[in-house]
Amino acid sequence: MRPALPLILAAVGALLAGCGGSTRPACPAGELCLEFGNTGDLISLDPYKGGTTSELQAVGEFFTPLLDTAPDGEPVPGVATKWETSPDGLTWTFHLRDMVWSDGVPVTAEDFVFGLQRLFDPKTASDQASQIYAIKNSKAVNEGKLPLSAVGASAPDPHTLVITLEHPWPILPYYANSLVMTPTPKHAVEKYGDAWVQPQNYVGNGPYLPVSVKLGDKVVARKNPRYFDAAKICFDQVSFYPTIDAVSAERRVKRGELDVNTRIQSNRVEYLRRPGQMPDYVRVHPWVGVTYLAYNMRDVPALKDLRVRRALSMAIDREFLTKKLLRGGQQPAYGFVPPGMVDYKDGPRVDWADWPFEKRQAEARRLLAEAGYGPKNPLKIDIKHRNTADPSLVMPAVQADWKSIGVLATLTPNESQIAYEAYRTRDFQVADAGWVNGNNAMDYLYMQRSDVGTQNYGEYKNPKYDALLDEADQERDLAKRAEILKKAERIILDDAPVTATFFMVNQNLVSPRIVGWVDNSLDTHRIRFMCFKDAAARVAALPKQ
Amino acid sequence: MTVLGPELAPGTGGGAAGLPSAPLKGRSLWDDARRRLFRNRAAVAGIVVLALLVVAALIGPYLTPYAYDQVNKDDVWVGPLSGAHLLGTDSLGRDLLARLLVGLRVSLAVGVVATVVSLVIGVAWGATAGYLGGRVDEVMMRIVDVLYSLPFIFFVILLMVVFGKNFILMFLAIGAVEWLTMARIVRGQTLGLKEKEFIEAARAAGVSSPRIVLRHIAPNLLGPVVVYVTLTIPAVILAESFLSFLGLGVQEPLTSLGVLISKGAQDMELAPWLLIFPSIVMVVTLMCFNFIGDGLRDAIDPKDR
Amino acid sequence: MLRFLARRLLVAIPTLFLVVTLSFFMMRAAPGSPFVGERKLSPEIEKAVMAKYGLDKPLHEQYANYLAGVIKGDLGPSLKYRDKTVADMIGEGFPKSLTLGVSAITLALLIGVSVGVAAALRQNRGADYAATAVAVLGVCIPTFVTAPLLVLLFASKLGWLPTAGWGGVRNLILPVVVLALPQIAIVSRLTRAGMIEVLHSNYIRTARAKGLSEFRIVTRHALRGAILPLVSYLGPATAGLITGSLVVEQIFNLPGLGKYFVVSALQRDYTVVMGVVILYAGLILLLNLIADILYAALDPRVSLK
Repeated sequence: MRPALPLILAAVGALLAGCGGSTRPACPAGELCLEFGNTGDLISLDPYKGGTTSELQAVGEFFTPLLDTAPDGEPVPGVATKWETSPDGLTWTFHLRDMVWSDGVPVTAEDFVFGLQRLFDPKTASDQASQIYAIKNSKAVNEGKLPLSAVGASAPDPHTLVITLEHPWPILPYYANSLVMTPTPKHAVEKYGDAWVQPQNYVGNGPYLPVSVKLGDKVVARKNPRYFDAAKICFDQVSFYPTIDAVSAERRVKRGELDVNTRIQSNRVEYLRRPGQMPDYVRVHPWVGVTYLAYNMRDVPALKDLRVRRALSMAIDREFLTKKLLRGGQQPAYGFVPPGMVDYKDGPRVDWADWPFEKRQAEARRLLAEAGYGPKNPLKIDIKHRNTADPSLVMPAVQADWKSIGVLATLTPNESQIAYEAYRTRDFQVADAGWVNGNNAMDYLYMQRSDVGTQNYGEYKNPKYDALLDEADQERDLAKRAEILKKAERIILDDAPVTATFFMVNQNLVSPRIVGWVDNSLDTHRIRFMCFKDAAARVAALPKQ
Repeated sequence: MTVLGPELAPGTGGGAAGLPSAPLKGRSLWDDARRRLFRNRAAVAGIVVLALLVVAALIGPYLTPYAYDQVNKDDVWVGPLSGAHLLGTDSLGRDLLARLLVGLRVSLAVGVVATVVSLVIGVAWGATAGYLGGRVDEVMMRIVDVLYSLPFIFFVILLMVVFGKNFILMFLAIGAVEWLTMARIVRGQTLGLKEKEFIEAARAAGVSSPRIVLRHIAPNLLGPVVVYVTLTIPAVILAESFLSFLGLGVQEPLTSLGVLISKGAQDMELAPWLLIFPSIVMVVTLMCFNFIGDGLRDAIDPKDR
Repeated sequence: MLRFLARRLLVAIPTLFLVVTLSFFMMRAAPGSPFVGERKLSPEIEKAVMAKYGLDKPLHEQYANYLAGVIKGDLGPSLKYRDKTVADMIGEGFPKSLTLGVSAITLALLIGVSVGVAAALRQNRGADYAATAVAVLGVCIPTFVTAPLLVLLFASKLGWLPTAGWGGVRNLILPVVVLALPQIAIVSRLTRAGMIEVLHSNYIRTARAKGLSEFRIVTRHALRGAILPLVSYLGPATAGLITGSLVVEQIFNLPGLGKYFVVSALQRDYTVVMGVVILYAGLILLLNLIADILYAALDPRVSLK
């Protein structure tokens, strides 16, 4: 038995000594492989069945939507090369280029119609469909009230797609480059049924195709030779890793095992920026996202009182949260709509935005006393929150802030999924939520409509607010539209059914070897614009940005 | 070594030569065991350190300058020995010493309560099965066998998931996992004791069964049970720290050693003190229990001659 | 032998049945549903989805359907990962967990037994105390402390090994070592205790009297008896490895089954949870069976009943 021990040690030593080199997975000779940390496993390879950032990134490489996304996040021609709008704004006509699916079959307008019908088919159960309910009849079809053929999309000829809308929608191009506006290969679905998304059957029209999907391990994708711009693509192979632990992923990027990771733990950004750590890897940019607290005004009597909501909202030290706790470049939020929205400059702020913090605390205590709460009768409230890294850091600080104005708050953390389920069913008092959407103000303001359903967590009901949003929907002039929306935002800032704590930033770790990555507010980065710096020939061939 | 006390040594006075003037100081098995235990240096060290830790956990949180949940806005991630923060602060500026003491308190509480739960269930089950014997014994132990094969950690996780991360629930869940081995040990011991003459005598005298179990059998189980208890507590503390690592442990702002360590491991490059101090405390605590348990086992049942 | 196996099977079936039933009802009792994300499904769509997975039927009907499926070998689709079935996920994940576990237990046995024997032969001398101290440490330091420390040293600082992920043998070294450490500690103590007991027994004294070399005595005669307590430990050891792998798989991003159990429980992916639990329960039963057979094979005094 004992001689075995030195043998083992020798073997281990040999292993360690012999291989001090690279720990990257092997890449076929002559090829370029990108190791991409994608934050999570893919729920599905079907573009309509998953909407987290992980799917948006990976599945977004397998399909080309109606419009595409430039490196800076702006919509540019995709399958459609040009488009017109009818005078009343209700009909959009898209002209499609010649393009084939990865199995050689041509992509036609019929594939788009088929796709939209499949998207709104209740059996598909897509939770992304509501993004484009502006399409005529789509909501009714999605709820099973109308047949699939009623969806407002038609294909008069293989290269023309006509979309009819419920109301004018000047910002349609900003939704036409999302996964929900991708065509579906009708012939593949008819042949394979639901199994068409398995890698061996997969048919897509994007720059890459999935080759293998191993949960918890990685998704490997290879260049699609039939992609219309295939000659210009640099990376032959991309592997997407479900890097759930941001800190562990950070170490892997540092070691060169990964080239990119789409998340950094927020309070480590400062540390990574130090010389000697990874300063040229850190990419931070304001994001189209807001983190906020919702007040349950239906079930909690205390929260029905505007004074209480105002007090709670102004007592949160947003400067501390963003500068000392999160430290990732997040901006304190004194409005609700994030900055950087297209055609929405200088949104309104709460009236107490510029007060010193002590003044806000004093005013908060005064308001609470007026509402009947004080040291003899402290307000007791529960905050339900997601147990991911940022809320877990921020909520105890909010709890402490509220304690200093005499409010006794308890924290109830939950998995995000469970938390949102609770918010849906109004099983909360104060809810912590995050919302990342597009770069249009309406994407954030619609949530407080009284008829929006489950997403209006606090059950805020204000017909004046709804009317303003309806008016904005009908307004085709973007500047006038912005003014109407600002009035609406002013209302919810004054009424405080929700209070935003901070505006998010997207944080990525990108190896300095990579060219073609542009930080943008949508955090959309298409891989076909990227390459390794040292592959000069391929870099020169990249599509123009 | 002679059992006779100094009173019997010739010439020390007291009464007629050779006769003891004071009663013989006898030595019971417990005295033997106690003596062996105190000769075991590791066990003694364990007892002393553990006592200190328990005292610290009980009264420490009242003595620290900062409360464990107090967010000190200007002191985020401050290192040890800076200002009033002896052990430094965490990512929210909360004092680590205060949190460590509270965390120790929570972990010890979970350890003790869960072990007591498993003790109560295990002893009751095992003693009953062993004493009653026959078919009842077979059925009861068959049930234990079946339960033993369940992948318990999964059920604990499911319990935590289903009923939320309830402090009390964790005690019960972990305790419910540990009672099986206790039951087996107790049953084995009871089977052996049952045949002894003094039990026979009690039965002949007409003492009822429950009284026999309670007054005669139970005290004699003390030895192995005490040993097992001292070794179960660290296992429970470890189990709780695993659950905390998986995100199923105590919730904010409360903390436990497991939570402190898993959060500390995350930020170990930025704030190594957040990992080092809680780890040391946990390891030392567990080692104390282990040394005491080993010492007790050797004392009561010496084998290593 | 056959009768023994038959009896064990009789115990196994109710156990598995109990496992399925308990986990089924516990999962269903949990609040939340698998179909919720940040965007909400309209009530009509949610109804359609529930119907698709048969979740709108009464609970006992779902239970019966599930049982029927399991007997046929159909574990159902994953509710969260829309393209995968439970069988897919288990097929992908289980071999990886198995590799990890088997490597760890092999390493633990090789090193642990060697150390234990060495300590027994040098009983109560320096090397013995050292081995005991290291063993206690090994049990008392949780894997989620050793893992980040080892990663920091060997992967980040020295760059000898990969940080995380599944790949070749090099990716396995750190996780296996981390997983094996507590087992090495326990195995070495068990071996040492067993060895000491055997070395004092009569038949060894006879062998010595006959003039056999120490080496032959240890390896050919003593070892066999010494590892008996080890064999009984194998069952709980496997359970410990499974638990430990939950943490190790998470830290090292290994796509094993353990990680999926926790994630799926938290995401309410009912079918995956049940599939994993059934698998592990079956595994533990099988391993306990093997351990018992091995024990009987090694110890001629014990017969399989």
